[in-house]
Amino acid sequence: MAGVRLWADTGVLNGEKMFAVNKVLLASHGTDGAKAAEKVAFELCEEGATLHHLIVVPTFWEGTTGDDWLQNGSVRNDFRRYLEGELGREVDENFVRVGEAAIEKGLNYTNDMVVGEPDEVLLASCEQEKYDLVIMGSIRPKKISGLRSRMLKDKMIRKLKTPVLVVPYPDE
Amino acid sequence: MVYTKKSPALLIIGMIMLAMWWMASSGMMDGLMEHLAAGKKYKFGSEIVNLSLWFGVVAALIGAWQLFGSHTEGAWDYYSSSIAGGMFILLIAMLTRWFVAPEVAVISMGFGKVGDTGKYIHKLLGLNYIVMGIIFGIIIVNVFKVPGWAQNGVRLSRLGLKTGVILLGTLYSAAELKNLGGLSIVMIGFFVLGSVGMTLFMGSRMKIPNSMGGVLSAGMGVCGVSATVASAPVVQAKSVEIAYTIGTILLWGVGCMFVFPVVGQLLDMSHVQFGAWAGTGILNSAQVAGAALAFQPDGIETLKVAEIFNITRVLILPIIVIWLAVWYVKREGEANAQKVNVGKVIFEKFPLFVLGFIMLFALSSTGVFAPANHYKGKYFDNTKVKASKMMTDEQIAVLVANQGKVQRQDRKEALARLIEGRKIASMEDDTQIRGLANSKIMGKKSGKILKKAHKAVRHTAKKVKMFRKWITWLFAFGLVGLGMQITLASMKQAGGAPAIIGGVVGLTKAVASLVVVMMLISETI
Repeated sequence: MAGVRLWADTGVLNGEKMFAVNKVLLASHGTDGAKAAEKVAFELCEEGATLHHLIVVPTFWEGTTGDDWLQNGSVRNDFRRYLEGELGREVDENFVRVGEAAIEKGLNYTNDMVVGEPDEVLLASCEQEKYDLVIMGSIRPKKISGLRSRMLKDKMIRKLKTPVLVVPYPDE
Repeated sequence: MVYTKKSPALLIIGMIMLAMWWMASSGMMDGLMEHLAAGKKYKFGSEIVNLSLWFGVVAALIGAWQLFGSHTEGAWDYYSSSIAGGMFILLIAMLTRWFVAPEVAVISMGFGKVGDTGKYIHKLLGLNYIVMGIIFGIIIVNVFKVPGWAQNGVRLSRLGLKTGVILLGTLYSAAELKNLGGLSIVMIGFFVLGSVGMTLFMGSRMKIPNSMGGVLSAGMGVCGVSATVASAPVVQAKSVEIAYTIGTILLWGVGCMFVFPVVGQLLDMSHVQFGAWAGTGILNSAQVAGAALAFQPDGIETLKVAEIFNITRVLILPIIVIWLAVWYVKREGEANAQKVNVGKVIFEKFPLFVLGFIMLFALSSTGVFAPANHYKGKYFDNTKVKASKMMTDEQIAVLVANQGKVQRQDRKEALARLIEGRKIASMEDDTQIRGLANSKIMGKKSGKILKKAHKAVRHTAKKVKMFRKWITWLFAFGLVGLGMQITLASMKQAGGAPAIIGGVVGLTKAVASLVVVMMLISETI
């Protein structure tokens, strides 16, 4: 873990990069932990490499109207449209932010937004397309509040055939 | 798109219902019924025979058509695709009401009464078919997931609840509606404004964004998730703020649904007191109905009170949404906030089912469901009450022994007339005696005698009885379905500042409304 930390800070491990990465899947949805992963991804990718940015919108959003039953259908539809718009806006902001930085570094930037369970979506993405490395942020420390939807799960790590780099949380 | 799924599920559900009908009508279930009745008469025999047959035939026929027929796009395909899910919910409600809840009661009675409460565990915990139905719904969605063929139908639960409220309109008298309406406006008005204000105040102290304060205050103050859904776009809440708010409300709501009936039982609250408390103190409207039926599963007096509170809340909602919109514009400035069309908000957010409720109430007031003479003293006449319905010497002795416990003068006088005449003599006395029975002041034995005296002079009309039954089923159906929409993933999002503010405001509201209800609300309306 200490070696990974050193690498995350400097982009190199013992003066050398661990291995060449030409095609990276970056799982980032813009939280502090994910931004740390973005930073490492930019440092690791050589110019001309491909950075595929994946954002997963977790399925728990589908149950956001919960057990509301008092409202008319039109009010619920308005709410759903509003929420979809909000989630879409947040995803677009992240794509633009990461995309601009990637292009500035001379990377080939592609992105994808998928609705599903984060770990399952990552596994499916890595089965559909071959990547040299998957980069993601680590699990948020308990004192930091945020949405509860994990991509980093034991069963995902066990099933994933692509190397994974989990970048420590910035304040850890 | 074709919505109908070629699945054998509906056909299987139909076959299960028909099997229940056949087993019940052929006597194969007699042993089971005897066991579930625990020494009394099994209450659901006729329901099993009738409902299982009719719904079983419908489910089996449509299920066979769905499995073997060909389906094309269209309105019929869209609507019929919801039948499988609706029947799935109904089957769960049937199994829970007829078999699971009675079995739990039998087991609970086996353990004996709890301490000096004089109540069995299942009564104390409100473990009846309504609560268990909601729990099964929550388990299904979170452990097994709602199957694809049932997903369209699960949404029917909202229709079930709204239809239940509309039918409930037939059961109120004008005086009840006037008194309950007045009480709910005062209680809801005070506690809604209080909790909205408290949330906004705490929010500003904890420096949460205005959008978060806005959406949280609506959810905490008015009607939970429904208010969040209505107000989120107006205060431009961020997605994470919506998730926090709904998670907090669902967690609180589900918790309250289990805790409130227990407290109500321990405090021996009357139906009116509990209905008013649940209607005010529970954040989320779905759990208000759940708690009311958990407290009184075999009658709908508590539900009648609680639903008036729910209706008042949802009628207040457009006003709160407008208030929050104005508040948000003031805080954020016109450049950042969305302008609000007041007329549009009121028109769009007005709950149409309340019009149905009012219409049925108006219709009921004309006497179309219960003949006018039904409530006008026909049975108070001596010649109409059979001698067998008059109170016995033994019953009179019980009442006399407990007479001293009654404090209120009007009730004392009504009780004295009852003891003297051995039956209730007027509408006014009936109201007093009913209140006395509900208040439980004179003890369990006297309460039973008073209720018997009430029943001897007041008979429920057949149509009204039928409405009561349908209302119970519609709420059971609706609440099982709503349980299937409560996901742990949504509840897990409770956290951050909203969880702290929600906890403080929710607890304050629950405790303060309990105190007010116990101090100010009498046992009957």
